[in-house]
Amino acid sequence: MIDVVAQYRLEIQIEDDIVIVRRKARQLAQARKLDPFATAAITTAVSELTRNVLVHAGGGSVVLEEISDGERYGVRATFEDHGPGIANLELALAGGHSTSKTMGLGLSGSKRLADRFEVKTEKGVGTTVRIEKWQGL
Amino acid sequence: MHARYLRTLKFDELELASRRTFFRVTDEDLARLASLRSFAEKHTEAIVEAFYELLLGHPETAKFFSDELAVKHVKKLQRDYFLQLFDGRCDLAYVENRLRVGAAHERIGLAPKWYLGAYRRYLEVVREQLFKTFPSDEARASMESITRIVFFDMSIAIDTYIAANLETIGRHQLAIRELSTPVIRVHERILLMPLIGTIDSLRANQIMDALLLRVVEEQARFVIVDIAGVPVVDTKVADSLLKTTAAVRMLGAQVILTGISAPIARTLVQLGVDVSSMHTCARLQEGIELALQLAGKVIVDREKGGAP
Ligand SMILES: Nc1ncnc2c1ncn2[C@@H]1O[C@H](COP(=O)(O)OP(=O)(O)O)[C@@H](O)[C@H]1O
Ligand SMILES: [Mg+2]
Repeated sequence: MIDVVAQYRLEIQIEDDIVIVRRKARQLAQARKLDPFATAAITTAVSELTRNVLVHAGGGSVVLEEISDGERYGVRATFEDHGPGIANLELALAGGHSTSKTMGLGLSGSKRLADRFEVKTEKGVGTTVRIEKWQGL
Repeated sequence: MHARYLRTLKFDELELASRRTFFRVTDEDLARLASLRSFAEKHTEAIVEAFYELLLGHPETAKFFSDELAVKHVKKLQRDYFLQLFDGRCDLAYVENRLRVGAAHERIGLAPKWYLGAYRRYLEVVREQLFKTFPSDEARASMESITRIVFFDMSIAIDTYIAANLETIGRHQLAIRELSTPVIRVHERILLMPLIGTIDSLRANQIMDALLLRVVEEQARFVIVDIAGVPVVDTKVADSLLKTTAAVRMLGAQVILTGISAPIARTLVQLGVDVSSMHTCARLQEGIELALQLAGKVIVDREKGGAP
């Protein structure tokens, strides 16, 4: 059972929002005593996924949550957009493939940086990506 | 200038209608205000004087009205401003006119608190005169109409303050961006560029341009890029660092990346970013030593008996 301790919803519309969103993510990670490695990991993954929403879907939103499983705290980020969807998810997750001539490492990298990673995408409907990062045991 | 604010504030017929509804500025109010025109003209002088008495009597506001000519000019503006309340109109032209006032105040640095406080004095004098001149029913109704348009005015002025302020902040951000890409010469043909803060697309380009120009100017062989002050190194930042490295190399120099914390190193590895084209060091000092060493120079410890 995972409890949501607190929840924040932020819009992703302009480049400045990337800084706002990842700052909030870092602040939550620090407040919940994630170590510097986990904090860097969640902050960076959030930065990547926020930019993806902006660049590949033209905008959307994110819900940042402080979560707890009764023993540890964690941070969860759920990104949602109504963009074109990820055309080839397998390729996008393999890494090194970009449809916008950038590095193509954001999605696969975020998956490695997070403790949990889920993605749902549908062509023409949109994309939802959810990640979690937990305190070390 | 005010037309621009009208645009930034998205003040169109729709917004005007919505605001008039909210502030209850009805056509009846406007008609009543128009009928008060001669009353207003009769008392303009006294009202403007009382207003200035307040502003000049307060040290913090007096300094905005230091020279007499300026005061004369502003008094005339005040008279016009006051009388326009009794034009009996509240359309976009009126709003545009009001926008100008907020913008002018922002320009001279007169804070909203002074504007609001001074407006209170206006109302005080107007109320006094109204009740002296008219039967109390009529005076009360008139006062209500005046209050409505005055609050409407204040809402516009505050909006303008905010819009003007945002513009100022935008300009400052530009200035900071320009300031924040310094390139320092630490030794003959060795340059240092400490990066601080968020590197967005705009800054990434500026960083690259500033650095390449200096590499050529100084015929640099080594460029130390210190990222100790960069809070997040994501693939976007990594990409601009790698592109900078490639461009610097084309000019015959090498990049040494320093200030990489352990969490950032680990994050970069997990992202799968290949930084092998750059020399990397944890600390700036090591970076400088590496550059000197690669340039064929050594730092000698005098204590330990090196060359004199
Ligand atoms: N929210 C999204 N909506 C649509 N497509 C996306 C989204 N996120 C990622 N993608 C697709 O997945 C690819 C890989 O993403 P990523 O690994 O972040 O690399 P990059 O952003 O550099 O292209 C993108 O090029 C894009 O085609
Ligand atoms: Mg990406």
